[in-house]
Amino acid sequence: MFETPDDRKYQESHEYATTDGEPVTVGISDFAQDELGDIVFVELPEAGDEMSQGEEFGVIESIKAVSDLYVPVSGVVSAVNDALFDQPELVNESPYDEGWMLKLEDVDDAELAELLTADEYSEQTE
Amino acid sequence: MNHDQARYGDDDRYEPLLSETGTKTVDVSEESPLPDGLTREELELPTSSEPELSRHYTRLSQMNWSVETGPYPLGSCTMKYNPSFTEDVAADPNAAVHPERSEETIQGTLELLAGLQDYLARIGGMDAVTLQPPAGAAGEFTGIHVAKAYHESRNDDRSEVIVPASAHGTNFASAAMAGYDVVELPSGEDGRVDLDALEAAVSEETAALMLTNPNTVGLFERDIVEISEMVHDAGGLLYYDGANLNALLGRARPGDMGFDVMHYNVHKTFATPHGGGGPGAGPVGVREELAEFLPRPRVREQDGQYELYDPERSIGKVHGYQGNWLVLVKAYAYIARLGDSGLEDASAKAVLNANYLAEQMEYDIPYGPFHHEFAATAGDRDAADVAKRMLDYGVHPPTTKWPEFVPEAMLTEPTEAEDKTSLDDLAAAFNGAISDSEEELANAPSKTTAQRIDQATAARNPRLSWHALDEQ
Amino acid sequence: MTDAGRHEHVDGTPYAPHTPAETAAMLDAVGVDSEADLFDVPEAVQFDGDLGIEKRSERELRSELSETFARNDDLTEFLGRDHHTHYVPSVVDDLSQRAEFLTSYTQYQPEIAQGFLQALFEYQSLIAELTGLPVANCSMYDAASGLGEAARLAGRVRSVSGTRVLVPELLHENKRAVLDNYVDGTDLAVATYPMDDGNVDVDALSALADNETALVYVENPTVRGTIEEHLGDVGEITDEAGALFCLGTDTAALGLLEEPESVGADVVVGEADALGVPTAYGMGLGLLATREEFLRQVPGRLVGASEDASDRRTYTLTLQTREQHIRKERATSNICTNQAWVALRTAMHLAWLGPDGLVDLGNQCVQEAASLATELNGIRGVKAPVHDRHHFREFAVRTDQPAPAIAEDIEAGGCAVHVLDDHLLQVCVTDVNASRTDELVDAFEEAV
Repeated sequence: MFETPDDRKYQESHEYATTDGEPVTVGISDFAQDELGDIVFVELPEAGDEMSQGEEFGVIESIKAVSDLYVPVSGVVSAVNDALFDQPELVNESPYDEGWMLKLEDVDDAELAELLTADEYSEQTE
Repeated sequence: MNHDQARYGDDDRYEPLLSETGTKTVDVSEESPLPDGLTREELELPTSSEPELSRHYTRLSQMNWSVETGPYPLGSCTMKYNPSFTEDVAADPNAAVHPERSEETIQGTLELLAGLQDYLARIGGMDAVTLQPPAGAAGEFTGIHVAKAYHESRNDDRSEVIVPASAHGTNFASAAMAGYDVVELPSGEDGRVDLDALEAAVSEETAALMLTNPNTVGLFERDIVEISEMVHDAGGLLYYDGANLNALLGRARPGDMGFDVMHYNVHKTFATPHGGGGPGAGPVGVREELAEFLPRPRVREQDGQYELYDPERSIGKVHGYQGNWLVLVKAYAYIARLGDSGLEDASAKAVLNANYLAEQMEYDIPYGPFHHEFAATAGDRDAADVAKRMLDYGVHPPTTKWPEFVPEAMLTEPTEAEDKTSLDDLAAAFNGAISDSEEELANAPSKTTAQRIDQATAARNPRLSWHALDEQ
Repeated sequence: MTDAGRHEHVDGTPYAPHTPAETAAMLDAVGVDSEADLFDVPEAVQFDGDLGIEKRSERELRSELSETFARNDDLTEFLGRDHHTHYVPSVVDDLSQRAEFLTSYTQYQPEIAQGFLQALFEYQSLIAELTGLPVANCSMYDAASGLGEAARLAGRVRSVSGTRVLVPELLHENKRAVLDNYVDGTDLAVATYPMDDGNVDVDALSALADNETALVYVENPTVRGTIEEHLGDVGEITDEAGALFCLGTDTAALGLLEEPESVGADVVVGEADALGVPTAYGMGLGLLATREEFLRQVPGRLVGASEDASDRRTYTLTLQTREQHIRKERATSNICTNQAWVALRTAMHLAWLGPDGLVDLGNQCVQEAASLATELNGIRGVKAPVHDRHHFREFAVRTDQPAPAIAEDIEAGGCAVHVLDDHLLQVCVTDVNASRTDELVDAFEEAV
């Protein structure tokens, strides 16, 4: 079974967003990292970029697939996880903690509320 | 039986790199009569004597699997035996001519090209053939450009190419490179084209449907006549991917099925060696109406003389010259060696071999009846791991995890070149590997030169030359 | 007459090993009466006719094709332009023809294909050494498709906003035609910049290259055989324009002429087949090398180093997610089958030459061209070289009389040269034909 912590919300394309206030942390789910397999490369935006929900914010590449990453909630990028450039495997090892991707500020709370709950997301991935 | 592959080297590596046995730096500007500003300053290259090179490459060859080493049942790749005599024919010194020689002085070269065009047209049921595309994917690119030129000539602006989900990745990429939007057609429940899905997909935007027949799990598209009507009624063209032509030689022809454009993979169907990934050749055949769009120049015979000419509405060129000459010569020689009866027999034996092998395998094969290849499923085992384990049984494994609509697919194409004993050995390898323990699978292979190679490290930290190794 | 051979009498393919008894046993095992029963082809599309291809024996074919090729005239070729030939040592034929290399497939199971993978890694390394650029792929089809792919690469690079591809007005028309097809279907558009006496017209290029420019393509040596003197300027111009600098060259020239990286080239394309392959009616090998920052935009296969479970250094195809079999319509290119075996031969030839041999070869290409030009220039009604530049291997020749007629007479005299237009010929001299320039000079004198 995959971990799907309920302190955050999810979208169908497998990105999560934390719900304990700003900055909101964005990454991909445990399920998604397992599907992708060994992650070898992550491309992320720059701090300061303004992003809207559904927009592509980067690319994640494993040895067998490449996927676009989509912003779960609109906001301004306040930080990106530089560690992933040298250690993309952190996304495999710790998707919810050390493998985070973006920190967002000025997020749209209404959008955040609309995202899937952990239970709803788990159902989708079963 | 002992299946160990050759293994040289020490604890660090299997064979030193050319650079590791000595290099030398030359002061180029010093050595050259050219002014300093026009030359490089220095050049560092390996310095190996001919005896050393000979051993180096001989050892490397011994650490490499090939058709002549053993069974090579890679689905979709048609790894059949490559007759030796075709190499001698291609090496004829009189055939070694520069591509810009005048036509009158290379009549032999042009005669061979015209002869091969004729053979391929007959085999495919096509009216005209170009030999210029240097590979199958280049053939697709050419064929789709021809289709595009045809529509444009009729002021018919179309934006989509339909490709079944089960198609080779090149189909999607070639159509996209030519500027088309790719419409992916989901596979039907029986593994073939779903006519309802096709009906929904075709429209006045459809430039072409690209189809492989038999398809990538070896099934003949039984509804090909209806498919052809549907696409043609919408004003689209039907494109045949020739990767699986080895199933049908002399028994069915794309032209008779309604296809307008096709490419041939001569390095598959017509036994020209793959050379570790190429060169191949991807000639394109078309029906009469499309011939005027083929790449220039074309070859034809006029009153006993062979000449080059440019079709009036040619799409231009897809290769700097006339394609991969050496490959084309070998294909001609192979086709002529087999003739009608041999070609038909090659397909018959290829299909018999696939069916016999499948019969001996303890695997579920979800789709049939299949022809020259089939997709077995590894079920709850990881197909890639089973494949690695098969290496220890002394055979090359099949294509794995593709096509994607077959779970844990093992796409198997034994070709006509294996006999019953060899197929029995192959089946034993399949059956042995799938019943081995998880641990045995995870630790495989062990009898190959190298043990399991770490793909993730290679991709995370790309080291693409010996200079990158030095930087470690 | 038939060849001696087990299957010569069999009415089928000689390359399927089945005996009649085996075939019968296999049909029985499958549960059908004949092979025909295994085909699931609707009657409407079955082919019942004859293809009309006559089957010949191996010996018959060898003599038939030997007669066919004997119909090619035996001319001494002084031809080059985009297809150059240098002497290929026997050891290259001998080793590359080993069946383990020749009859292997793409290395999708690296554990069993270390030999070819290492050879391709060495090829990439040699190209990296020659170009100074760290990322070289396993091969493109030829120089023309390499240029097409370079243009498309520029179109994908985010730092490049322009869409114009600038190519020299002196460019092989075949290469231009291939490029046109590669950019058809993209936003890119091809335009030309003028040349000044066989080199880049720097002022004109400088005026043309702006932020609308995606790629500037320059050749060294040029299609006229001139050595380009303004590469450093081109590097600066493209840099300022925010465009990529693509340099077209070949493996023999790279040993001698300016290192592409040192003049600011971002992508190098060209004929890697100048070494390793004898004249083969234009069969090529496209080299493609670039900077690290464009790694994920590179088309075609790449071999990388890794480790195996015993911690030994190994090689494997890598970064395959760029390629069509994984990324489908979003792949960097549709290329699948490439020219791997030609790359193997080129690497062997480079290794055989070593640094001294390669530099000597380059010097010979410069010296032979210069001395042949001087000789031809001594003939009344002939000016050679046309361009007042240094030349590599080949040069243009102006003739007072019509060039096509002269070329025909030269052909009658046993030599082949290029006709560029009504009063221009082109002549190419390398280590292969250098000892026979007397024949050409004689034929020239006869012709004019």
